[in-house]
Amino acid sequence: MSDARRAVIWILALVTVTIAGDHLLAWGLEQVLVRSQFRYSRLYRGGNNAEILVLGDSRGVHSFYAPAIEELTGVRALNLSYNSMSPRIAEAILLDYLERNRAPKIVIIEVTCMHVTGTLTSELRTYASLSPRLAALYAEQHPVAARAARLFRLFPLNSEFFLEALHYMRRSDQDWIHHDVMPASLRAQRGGGWNIQPRPENVDALVRIVRVLRERGIEPRLIIAPYGGEGVPVNLELVADVIGSRTGVRVSNYGGAIADLDDFADHVHLNERGSRVFLSLMQRDGVFGMTQPPPRF
Amino acid sequence: MLAASVIFYAWWDWRFVFLLFFSSIVDYSLGILLENEHDDAKRKRLIVISIAVNLGVLGFFKYFNFFVGSAAQISNSLGLRANYDTLKIILPVGISFYVFKTMSYTIDVYRRTEKAERNLLRFTTFVVFFPELVAGPIVRASRMLPQLRRDHAFSFERMVSGLTLIASGYVRKVAIADSIAPLVDIRFAHPEAHNALSLLLGVYLYAFQIYCDFSGYSSIAIGLARVFGFDFGINFDRPYFSRSFSEFWSRWHISLSSWLRDYLYIPLGGNRGGTLLMIRNLMLTMLLGGLWHGASWTFVAWGGLHGAYLVLQRFIAPTYQRVIRALRIPAFASNAFLILLVFHLTCLGWIFFRASSFANAWQMLTGMASIHAVHLADIDNRGRILKCLVMVGVLLLFEAAAFLSKREEAVETSPMMRLAFIAACVWVVLIFGSFSGNNFIYFQF
Repeated sequence: MSDARRAVIWILALVTVTIAGDHLLAWGLEQVLVRSQFRYSRLYRGGNNAEILVLGDSRGVHSFYAPAIEELTGVRALNLSYNSMSPRIAEAILLDYLERNRAPKIVIIEVTCMHVTGTLTSELRTYASLSPRLAALYAEQHPVAARAARLFRLFPLNSEFFLEALHYMRRSDQDWIHHDVMPASLRAQRGGGWNIQPRPENVDALVRIVRVLRERGIEPRLIIAPYGGEGVPVNLELVADVIGSRTGVRVSNYGGAIADLDDFADHVHLNERGSRVFLSLMQRDGVFGMTQPPPRF
Repeated sequence: MLAASVIFYAWWDWRFVFLLFFSSIVDYSLGILLENEHDDAKRKRLIVISIAVNLGVLGFFKYFNFFVGSAAQISNSLGLRANYDTLKIILPVGISFYVFKTMSYTIDVYRRTEKAERNLLRFTTFVVFFPELVAGPIVRASRMLPQLRRDHAFSFERMVSGLTLIASGYVRKVAIADSIAPLVDIRFAHPEAHNALSLLLGVYLYAFQIYCDFSGYSSIAIGLARVFGFDFGINFDRPYFSRSFSEFWSRWHISLSSWLRDYLYIPLGGNRGGTLLMIRNLMLTMLLGGLWHGASWTFVAWGGLHGAYLVLQRFIAPTYQRVIRALRIPAFASNAFLILLVFHLTCLGWIFFRASSFANAWQMLTGMASIHAVHLADIDNRGRILKCLVMVGVLLLFEAAAFLSKREEAVETSPMMRLAFIAACVWVVLIFGSFSGNNFIYFQF
């Protein structure tokens, strides 16, 4: 046999073995992925029966400490927030949740994520094989990588999310919260005065989320979690007004509700102590209680 | 091959193709003149012209602003108000590599150890051959020109062997070096934000980042050349298993270290001429070797440190051997100690190599010395660090297996084993690779 013919056969065998092995390994790792206790693995595995669901970006993660919500309300809570989660991604996550799990009674949305872009989609590709919605979002943001991910199924598992899923194989990730206190250097910082610039596509997504929730009899709670010291955006009231008028749901603005900087890990994130204070304020205001009909702005 | 190489280089910046041609034509012509000339004085003048042109090109594009800036700093520190203007000079990719290649050619012709190449196209192909153009290895004319004179029929064995090298290169670069890069960057950018253990991990990781980055590139270049039927030799040979610094330099960037030995250290006098001259030659070679890497005093310091290691080793090694024999310490224990010692001293050098300035290097060193503030929980990105350490561990296991069995490669050579190895490399890259598009570190040199 000539060298050229041997090379062709060998390359064909290499491609076959590579792709077959890729699919086989990916299948095995996907089995591991869905067995994890990581929040999105739980979501796609299904069978959750949380009565309170939380969505948002990192402020959603650190403001709504799920164990504290459960202690306060006595009902199950599940926080599906993640750093840099935009409302467009939150919409896909929520719809997937509602398809696979028992519908919650209340969905809390931290709405200051209106300015967040879709950077998290590159991480959520890990679950794209389980969610056509996430796959579509990923393909929209990363068309070339999405095509590669269709050919090589190991590629979507190359992510921070997969490492998180491995880390939380045997224990819940719902205890994520800052435990540290804002350092002195941050407290001394001056010169806040920043504005939230809501992105139109995010506001549209939030409007759709609220519509879906109402159609299904789930109460939406649109919340602005506290900011610390210099971190309060100048246009917070205006943002709350715009979101309230677009969605038809009053936005509960707790932006300046906590003054003690010991309750913050930095200017925009509460710590565990601050989260507990904030949640008790929400409890006092009846945010966790069911109100029929939902308040109109 | 010449056309492909020129297009490859022009893709980056077509204007510098003319510099490549200039360098090629000058050394091609000087090579022929050197061979034809029999008058020693004239031959000396010709080789001086060749070296001056090559170093002039390198000096202008790579070191002009560095020397002007340094002169300005010295003037200012002496209280002289000097106004030195720097130029906006773009550093042509691969200039350090191809200038050394052409320079070694004319020196070899001058020494009459190499025949002058009479075919300009062939000589230019030797200079611009794309697999090694941008970051080496520095393949000398004595190895490359005879191969360019031969016909190259397609060989299945060479293709498989070349693809194996390319695959292992991609694993080193994309899966290991690029995964490590952000962890190292953040530590060198803000040493004050990390504790001693975190900084120490950053330095260890950098040692493997630069190794995997450059040896990965070298593997890809050598593998690509092999697919086309060319043999470049090896450029790295498990350097972190070295038991001395002379061994380290015979295993690290072999094409450069052997170049410095043959065209700088030995012409300077090498080991001949007594201890003081040997020290001078070693230090000068390593200081210039450091400067070759980049126009910054931190690179010079790195070279100087390695020069000092080599000098000290010459004095300490005999005493060390006597102590080992007297205490009857087993060879494996002594070797393990020496490997660890050389690795850690090499890491010390890497701090200067990687630091953006001496102040930055000092911050790293003092930060690592602050051992009172070591908490594992305070180390950021522990998951990613663990992932990188696991990959480095696997790499070292592969290298140790080959090192201990004294085999050239850790991979079996049958085509089916190579197929399995390449497929595994693809899987590793897919699952562990970083696809953020990091450049190769040595591209900047």
